Amino acid sequence: MIQKKICMIGDFSVGKTCTVARFVRQTFSDKYLTTVGVKIDTKILQWPNDAEVKLILWDIAGNDKLTTASTSYLRGAAGYLLVVDGTRLPTWESAKRLHTEVTRQIGDKPFLVLLNKADLKEQWEIKQADVDPQLKQGWKMLKTSAKTGENVEKAFEVLGRMLIG
Amino acid sequence: MQHIPLSIAKYIRSLWMSELILTFFHVNKQGILVEWGGHPRHYGLPTPITGQSASEQISFLEGAIPAEHTQILEFVGVGNEKVAHVHLIPFENGTWILLFDASAEHDRQQQIQQQYNELSVQSYRQTQLLQGLETARQQLEIEKIKLEQSAQTKSRFIASLSHELRAPLTSIVGYTHLLDEAEKAEEQESSYLNSVKQNAGYLLNLIDNVLEQTRSETQQVTIHPINCKIKNTLEDLKSLFFPMAKEKQLDFKLESAAEIPEQLLLDELRLRQVLINLMSNALKFTEHGFVSLSLSWQANRLSFQVEDTGPGISKEGQAKIFDAFHREKSTQHVQGVGLGLAISRQLIELMDGELRLESELGKGSLFSADIYAPAGQNTSQILSSSPTTLLDSADNSRYTILLAEDNLGIRTLLKLYLDEGGYQVLLAENGEQAVQIALQHQPHAILMDLQMPILDGFAATYELRQQGFTAPIIALSASALSQDRQEALQAGCSLYLMKPLDAEYLWLNLHNILNPSAD
Repeated sequence: MIQKKICMIGDFSVGKTCTVARFVRQTFSDKYLTTVGVKIDTKILQWPNDAEVKLILWDIAGNDKLTTASTSYLRGAAGYLLVVDGTRLPTWESAKRLHTEVTRQIGDKPFLVLLNKADLKEQWEIKQADVDPQLKQGWKMLKTSAKTGENVEKAFEVLGRMLIG
Repeated sequence: MQHIPLSIAKYIRSLWMSELILTFFHVNKQGILVEWGGHPRHYGLPTPITGQSASEQISFLEGAIPAEHTQILEFVGVGNEKVAHVHLIPFENGTWILLFDASAEHDRQQQIQQQYNELSVQSYRQTQLLQGLETARQQLEIEKIKLEQSAQTKSRFIASLSHELRAPLTSIVGYTHLLDEAEKAEEQESSYLNSVKQNAGYLLNLIDNVLEQTRSETQQVTIHPINCKIKNTLEDLKSLFFPMAKEKQLDFKLESAAEIPEQLLLDELRLRQVLINLMSNALKFTEHGFVSLSLSWQANRLSFQVEDTGPGISKEGQAKIFDAFHREKSTQHVQGVGLGLAISRQLIELMDGELRLESELGKGSLFSADIYAPAGQNTSQILSSSPTTLLDSADNSRYTILLAEDNLGIRTLLKLYLDEGGYQVLLAENGEQAVQIALQHQPHAILMDLQMPILDGFAATYELRQQGFTAPIIALSASALSQDRQEALQAGCSLYLMKPLDAEYLWLNLHNILNPSAD
């Protein structure tokens, strides 16, 4: 079976852990529980040709920049999801910074930006104009909601395809 | 522990973590699990099988082995089980993986980090909220400024409109007065003139009220307390209203308590304005019974009550009675625009009081207030209510007055007043002439209209003062704006009089300014 290590990266409280819980266990909790260190989960994706891909998800503690500890978790990652809280503009700034730092650590790897908390659209601070420059650079983005499950499954599938083709 | 090489055992001991639940895996350079020990299930891992791929059994090893140098992964959690510090140590063509229980430390750090993160998010939300509020406040401030500007423009417009209305009314009122006084006037002519006078008087009063309201909206109204004899004021009110009360066969009572000091320090003009407003309303609307005004004084405060047995005011009406332009439906057949009570209330508030109303439909109304009015001193700079008694026209012939006024009608009228007062009169039609004549003839005083062609009254006054002219210059203006008054005084005027002027008022002021030591 093909195994791929995927890292969840982003500022704190953007919904990384909730996104993994929604994807792996189809659960969601409104209660915020901060991650310390890293939490590892796995999920097997069925590919159309009956092949199975095991995704090993490294849900890394949120921060606005890479720490020594979080840098050590990146080793061997095949790709990553860059998670942003749509209701907090600074988390988008953190994501851009983190992308630069991750690239410096592990090189260019496939990644996908998740603009999370799509269920709180009326509170969003991130506007189209904020993300347009990165979209023009070829960044792939999806609006997701760990609460409603919107686009969560799709996000992992898209990244899976980017990893395996 | 007997399978652990000595160097690895030393490493463990060096960490002083032997009391923690240790689990270890030995993986060769092909990634095959060679041996293991400890309690993998404690960390949520399956029981490993040697001889098989390590990373397929222990998911977090994917991409992590073979280790090239010693590496520590802190706080690694698998599923919902215990959390471990994972040490990856390269040794003899393979990798040793050691797991040390870090759950307790993890929980401690999580608690601290949780609080920090929650506070950070909360603080961010509060900042955003405050910024939102600040933006809203700024927008409201802009709106407020716009509204204030709009209100000022409106007030300025009303003020200048009132100014324009006042000027011709000055002529109408003055000439009507003169014609009425003429002995040769026929009875019918006199009746017509009386009607003209009454209506002109009403118009003048209306303009005064509109101006007053405008001034209060632009916060230009100020109170100027002076020593005054309140009993004289009462006498004047009695003379003013007694004929009307008599005509309507109303019982008319004026009462003042004995304890009222002879002199009180208050703005007599403003108080008189309020009392005239209230009394004229009471007389206007009362058809039977009585109208009364009573005054009392205690602890530096003057109280008054104006009571009538008129139609009374409904509860709904009472709530709006002090609003500008409000008129009771039942009184709309009576002349007025609904400004008197609004102005009165504002004036009373400026005098540190509150105008109150008690009323019952069909029974009558009672307006009352008390204002700050300490006992006055016996300085006798008080204007007499009978100014003509101060004047002696024969004495005035020694005074030459220069009258500078461009409006022919007003110029002629004021000249008539001055002639009647016994003054010598020089005339000028504009500011330039006024300067020339004043410097040539050195009059004892100048009556200077402020709005004149060629050189206006402000500039002419300034020029005269520059040339060393020291006699009094009395500004004449139809403008009630304090800004105009201020500018006139700054230009060098000694006094500012508002049009329309009646003869007695003009004589009184001339007398006072030409005889500064006179009572």
